[in-house]
Formats: sequence, C-alpha cells, structure tokens
Amino acid sequence: MTGIRLEHITKRFKKEVAVDDVSMQVADGEFLVILGASGSGKTTILRMIAGLEVQTSGHVYIGDMLVDDYEPRDRNIAMVFQSYALYPHLTVYQNIAFGLKLRRVPDPHDETKLRKMPKAEIDQKIHSVTTLLGIPETLQKRPAELSGGQRQRVALARAIVRDPEAFLLDEPLSNLDAKIRSNARIELKRIHQQLRQTFVFVTHDQTEAMTLGDRLAVMNHGRLLQCDTPDRILSHPASRYVAAFVGSPEMVFLEGAVEASGGSYTFVKDRVRIPLRGVGPVGPVTLGQRPWDLLVARKPEDGAVPANVTGVEHLGSSDQLFLEIPPSAVTGAASPLAIRAVVRAYDFHVGESVYVGFDADRALFFDADGARLESLSAADRLP
Amino acid sequence: MADLRDQTLGFRLRREWPAYIYLLPVTIVLLVLNAYPIAYTIYISMTDFGIGGRFSLFNYHYVGLANYSYAFTSNASLSWELIGNSFFWATGSVALFLGVGLGLATVLNQEIRGKTIYRTLILLPWAMPAFITILVWSNMWGYQYGIINGLLATVHIAPVYWTERADTAWVALFVTNLWLSFPFYTVVFVATMQAIPKDLYEAASIDGAGSFSKFFRITLPYLKPTIIFVGLMGFLFTFNNFYPIYIITTGGPGNATQIFITKAYDQAFGAVGATPAFATAAMYSVIDFLIIVAFTVIVLWRTDLTKNWLK
Amino acid sequence: MIQRKRRRAARIAKRIATHAILIAACVFALFPIYFIVITSFSTLPVESITASTLVPSVSQFTTKSYHTILYDQSPSFLSLLENSLIFSGSAAAIGLALAAFTGFALSKFNFPGRRTFVYFILLISLFPSFVMIIPFYLMFAKIGLINTYLGLIIPYSAGAVVFSGILVKNYMDSIPDDIEEAALVDGMSRTQAFFRVLVPLCYPVLGLAAFLAFIGPYTDYALAHVFIDSPGLFTLALGLYNLNSQSGIQNYGLITAFAIVMSLPIVAFYMLFQRYIIGGLTMGAVRG
Repeated sequence: MTGIRLEHITKRFKKEVAVDDVSMQVADGEFLVILGASGSGKTTILRMIAGLEVQTSGHVYIGDMLVDDYEPRDRNIAMVFQSYALYPHLTVYQNIAFGLKLRRVPDPHDETKLRKMPKAEIDQKIHSVTTLLGIPETLQKRPAELSGGQRQRVALARAIVRDPEAFLLDEPLSNLDAKIRSNARIELKRIHQQLRQTFVFVTHDQTEAMTLGDRLAVMNHGRLLQCDTPDRILSHPASRYVAAFVGSPEMVFLEGAVEASGGSYTFVKDRVRIPLRGVGPVGPVTLGQRPWDLLVARKPEDGAVPANVTGVEHLGSSDQLFLEIPPSAVTGAASPLAIRAVVRAYDFHVGESVYVGFDADRALFFDADGARLESLSAADRLP
Repeated sequence: MADLRDQTLGFRLRREWPAYIYLLPVTIVLLVLNAYPIAYTIYISMTDFGIGGRFSLFNYHYVGLANYSYAFTSNASLSWELIGNSFFWATGSVALFLGVGLGLATVLNQEIRGKTIYRTLILLPWAMPAFITILVWSNMWGYQYGIINGLLATVHIAPVYWTERADTAWVALFVTNLWLSFPFYTVVFVATMQAIPKDLYEAASIDGAGSFSKFFRITLPYLKPTIIFVGLMGFLFTFNNFYPIYIITTGGPGNATQIFITKAYDQAFGAVGATPAFATAAMYSVIDFLIIVAFTVIVLWRTDLTKNWLK
Repeated sequence: MIQRKRRRAARIAKRIATHAILIAACVFALFPIYFIVITSFSTLPVESITASTLVPSVSQFTTKSYHTILYDQSPSFLSLLENSLIFSGSAAAIGLALAAFTGFALSKFNFPGRRTFVYFILLISLFPSFVMIIPFYLMFAKIGLINTYLGLIIPYSAGAVVFSGILVKNYMDSIPDDIEEAALVDGMSRTQAFFRVLVPLCYPVLGLAAFLAFIGPYTDYALAHVFIDSPGLFTLALGLYNLNSQSGIQNYGLITAFAIVMSLPIVAFYMLFQRYIIGGLTMGAVRG
C-alpha cells in the first residue's frame, strides 16, 4: 500500500513549465521533504497533491486511489498552510471543529446510514489533539490572541483531527522565530512518529529538510533532481546543484581538469595536484569538498592552497573558519575566493595564514554540465 | 484562487463557471434596469418626443442627431454654459473636498485626547440624510429669513441675496456641498494615514526634516492612490449630483448654476404647464454621460489606477 | 534652557491650534444640525427667525411641532414610516445580497470575460441615473407596477449595487486565498466556504453596503414622486417635501421636527454600527 504516488506530473502555463515530468512515490507513513529554492515548483506539486491546482498531464494517486478528478475535500488529505490560514473570526475550538462538523460518519446502529458526528465525539477528539500538541488552554481564544507558535500548532491540530490519508505541509515553520523553530521541528518529528502517517513537507531550508525527512526530494526549475535519504544525498549527490544546495556550510568547489598519464589520473588546478584512485574522462572537471573534509594546516603540503583566516565562528567542539584564498593563487580568479572550513575548536585564529588541502578520498567530482562523475569518486568505495 | 494565468480558455471555463451563476442576478438587474433604460434614453434623445408641443408627446418621430446639432449651433451658448458649469461644480467641489479633507485629516492624525469624539461629531453630517440637510441649508441661505444672513447681521454685515447673483450662488453651493462631503474625505484620509509606518517619520525627524517636509515627502506620496481614487469618485458623483443645485438655486439665477442633470430634469419635469421635453432631457443626459466616460477613461489611463486591480 | 522653553511653548501652541481647528470643524459640521434641533422645538414662523433664535429660550420651547407631525397628519406619520421602511428595507436586503454575490464572483474567480464584465458594469454605472426615471416610468406603467410596492423596490435595489459590489470586491481581495483553500480542504464546497467563512469575514464592508443600500431609497424623492401618487404609499421623503411646500413658510418647526424624527433611524443605525461602517469605508475605499 503506497501513501502517495505521482506519475509524470507536469504543470504548464502557456509559456513556462512550473513542474516538469515529476514522478515520485511516498511510502505509507513516510516523512518526505520536498526541498527546493523559490520557484522550483515544490509548492505547486504539493498543491496538486491537494487538488488546489490541477496538473496539465500526469496522474496523482493517494492511497492507491486515482484522485485526478477529485475536489480537495474528497481526497482525504489535510493541509497546513504557510500562513496557517486559521479562520480569524472563530475560536481555536471552532477552528478545529469546523471540518469535523461537516463530516458524515457511519451510524453505529446501522452501518449503511451516515450521520453527523456527535458533539461528544467532536469534543473528545479536539481535547485529545490539543493536549497532544500542548495547547489545551487556547481553546476559547481567537487566532489574533495567540503567538506564532501557538497558531502553528492550532493549524496542525486542525489537520491531525481530520485523520487523513496524508498530511501536506507548506513551509509551516518559516514564519516562526528562529528559537522556536528548532523546537517546533523536533516536536513535528515526534508527532510524526506517534501518528505514523504519511507526511509531505515542503521547504527551502535544507537544515530543516535534513533534520526532518526520512527522504528528501530535491527540486530545481520544476525538475526532480534526486529523491533519496538525507545521508545518501549528502554523500552521493546526483548533481553539483544538489551538492551545493544540501549541506551546511556549503560545499567548496574548485574548477580544474583531469589529466591522465600512464594509467593514472590526476586532478589539476594550479598548484593543486590530486592523484585520483578512480578512472574518469579527461577534461574540465569540478572538484567538490565538504568543509569538514578540508585539511587546514600551518605548513604547506603538496597540493595545498594558501589562504587567510578572516573569521572564526565557535560552534562548541568545532570552529567554522572563514577563509579567503588570494586571487594570485588561483588562475582566472579576479577576486579572492571565499570558502569555509570546519576544524577542531581553537586550532586557528583570525589573521593567520594557513594552507588548505583537499582529501581525495572524500571529494566529489562533477563534469562541466554538473552531473556527478561517479567513477572518479573514491566515495563509493568507502565502507 | 489558483493561479490561472495563461491557462486555456476551456480550462478556466470548466473550473470557474460558478462565477457566472453568482453574477446572474446582478447581470439581469443591470440589463433590465440600467442597460435597457440607457438604450431607450439614447433612442429618445434622437426623437422629438415632447419638443413639438403636446402633440408630439406620444406621436414622436425619429430625427437623428437634429437635437444635438441644435444644441451645439443655435443653442450653443447654453450648451457650453452647461459644460462649463458642470465642470466648475465638479472640480471646484472636489478641490475643496480634498483640501479640507487632507487638512483636517493631518490635524486629526495626531495623538490627541478626544480623537474619537471629534471623529464621530465630524462624521455626523454625513450620516444625516442629505435630502433633509440640503433643504435646511437651502432655508439657511434665504435672503429675508435665512439664518446665515441673520448671523451676518450680528456683525453688522448687510444681508446677501445669495441666490440672486451668480457668484454668491456658487459660494452657497460650494459651502453646502463641502459640508455634506468633507467628513467622508476626512475619515478616508485619516484611515490611510494611519497605515503609514511611524518609523518613516521618526527617521525623517532624525534627518532634520520639519513638518512641512515630512508631509510632502512621506505622507503625500503614500496618499496619492487614495487621493486619485476618491477624487475621481467625487468628481463623478458631484458632476451628476442633482439635489444641492436643484433645491438651493434650481439652476438660477437664469442658467448660471445649471448643470446637465438639473437642466435635463428641468426640461422633463420642470416648467409647470409646459410639455415635458423628454427628448431634450434625454439628449442632455447623453452628453453628460459621454463627457463623464471620456473623463474617466482619461484619468484611469493616465494614472494607471487599475493596473493590478484585476489579477 | 531657552531652547527647552521655546520648544515647550511651540508644542503647547501646536496643541491649542490643533484643538481650535478641530473644534471649528465640529462647529461647522454640527451647526445646521443644532439649528434644526432648536427650531424644531419652537413654533416660530420663518419670518421671525433671526440670529437670536439660535440661543434657546425656555419661553419659546414647545413640543407642539413634534406632536403635530406625529399625530396630526394625513397620511399619518406611522404610515409614512412604515412605507419608507418597507421600501428601503427590502431594497437594502436585495441590494446587499446582490453586492455580496457580485463582489465574491469578481474577487475570487478568474473567469473568462471578467475584465469585460467589470468595464461594462462600471460604464453603466456612470450614466446619470436621474434621467432613467422617464424610461422607468414608461416601462413600469406598461406592466402596471406603478403605485405598487414591488414597482418601486425593484429600481431601488439596483441603486448602489455596482458601487457596493466593487467595495465588497476590494475588501474580499484583502482576504488571503488560503483561508478559502483551507475551508475547501476542510470539506466545504465553494458555496459553503462563501457563506460560512468569507461572508462572516466581510461583515464590516457588508455593513457599509447595507447602510448605503438603505440610505439611498430612504431619502429618495425623485423616483418616489414619479412612481407613487396614492397617499397610502407615500414615503417619509415624499411627506417631508409635501409638508415643506404646504406649510414650510409658516411653520418652520414642523419641517424641522419632521426632519429630526425621519433622521432618527439613520443616525441610530450609524451610531450602533459606527465601527463597522467606518471599517468597511476605509477598507473598501482605500486601495493598495
């Protein structure tokens, strides 16, 4: 039984293509995060699952049911909007009860008949969900009287109480203060684990995505670039874009070339010469290294690049170093190249001159079009 | 609503058809009670309904644009006077509304005690039925028994025959009209001003700007769309505002304060005993209509007011 | 030190000026109303109204005018009031519904022909409604609806419909789309969402629309004069005008008393719903 399935979904306006032939599957009970920049089509996909937008071509299945022709209310989904969309003129209780009052459930005395949900049942559901989310005291208040975090939880409660086939969440944490946001994130994960239902979550924040998602679907310009677990996206990104988008601090890129001589391949960029264990095409290649895999030292090693430390951010047991590589060290650079490295705390200080080296075993390589060159990577060989 | 830009026609029809149902009642009402009478009036304006004396009241003939050519050749002076008066009445009134409205709004926008009381009191004239208050004003401007002359008498100013002379008649009209409308404009402007973020003013203060400068550089630009919108509405409303002129001066003295709509009414129902010249009345309304439409189109076009109004 | 004193003086002067201006505005605004109230309590003929009548004197005080218009008229004040309320109330109800539907359709639907439709109704509303009295009369006379309730209610309902419809549209534009979408996801059809979510959120502008739709017919003389000549159907406006032409000169108190009583429902309505009306005004009229 699958949670949600999208088959070759395309959404086109007369000239522009918002979603380009996207197919994906969300397993039942999975927490899928659709990650992308603004305009990448992520929200459009969510709205098409909900039925608020209609796809130009392709099919949407929710719980094995083809829902293409169904109105949002018949798709058995619940949605949490970025602005929460709470009814301003109703109390929290009424907000949550609204959908329930419209529901028709089978009469326990006669299974073939449908009747309105009795008030007692509505009451009980509302109380249990507000207790679950920690907001029972807000029931008689109006949305205007609540804090951002409380409103967000009311929106969530309204969705949960519908007991839907799937939850659709459109950047629900973006409007929260930074401090509350990380707590809200963890709470959301906890609720997901408790409810064990399918969640589709849209965001542009890759930290959020990495924390929350069982799997991530990375999108750009309407195309699905990669759909994988967070770990694999980090270690085996499908393209340069994905590698740059996911992972904080951002991956460091060096544009150079691969040379071959007598069976062995080397990545070359100015002074940097990195022998490669893999095999690959000769020609322009971009090297990508995660900041925490960079080797920063005071003495120049083979293939290391000089850099100046312009800033240090202490993150507990490690430091984030802000480095600047002078243009003279890199051909074709008009201005200093700014990169970040993650090192052990207190090893380096502002103003120092250091040398940055690359770890071939943990580096990733991309061709001129951005696709990843698997063969060059040693990463696949790592256990 | 979902983003439907650039969707095909068939798609939009299939999705948005309930709108047609919602608009059906209004469309029927407007077609029957607006479009049809307008068409009928335009037709009448091209006949001699009522012009040839009693005989032509229901024995009328189609005469094409004869009425119009008469209006702009033999009767041209009257026609131009009507045009001039109508514009004068509308633009003068609107200028007053905007000026006083803005001024009062600026004063009222400060943090003062009794703000709500002032606002409620000032709005009272607007809440009272205009018909009644215009009647009262009409009596107030009376020569012998009008209270205004009475008040002037207490400061030893000779009574003025307000409706006898053209210039004083206009004064009476403008003052009355101002009284009727200034509350509306004041309230609208106050509301708009309150939406302006306060820190803009604070930053300007630090930069050394005085009150005048703040008003012209911050307040006015923010108010511009509102000023144009209510200004246009006010112009259109006043241009065809029948009651003040009809009740206070009846277009007099002579035709000095006559505007299109009062003249039309006068032609149709005015002179007791004479035949109602419906065709002339209709013609005046058509001319009135054309002027208004042209004016609106020009204003909307030049000021870009409706740019993002329909998504 | 001198700086501070100067600034304080300036501020006090500014405050005095502010209140002075506002008080002047209030005097200007309230003066005619005060005048009406004062003269309604006296029976002076118009001839003897001078500036001194502005100062109320106890000896001249009388409620005779009120008594006369309320009890001594034909048709009776009650009958006039009843008719006015029937005409205006019905027209307001119908006009409100029309405005709400129109505003909703224009604001929340993007249907083919929307632009044309809006331009069409705006264009139509520019025609001076006064002159349509002639065709109205001819049209309704043919169907035999002259001198009936229905005959006048129908044109009255159409009065403010376009303007109110646009006000409602502007107000609804400011309600975020996702509230309607949340209602749809919650299980409502678009119609249900309209009545149960959007309409309650529009009470301010609907209140204003109702107010405008009521005031038009309530104070109308022109159309009523043409459509009604049987005294049993006379409205307050007609009654007032007739009174003015009959006895306005002799007894000023009569008309002013009439005017006061006639205005009471409107002013009461306004006082009660002030906040809603002003709220609707500012949201509807203030664009952007």
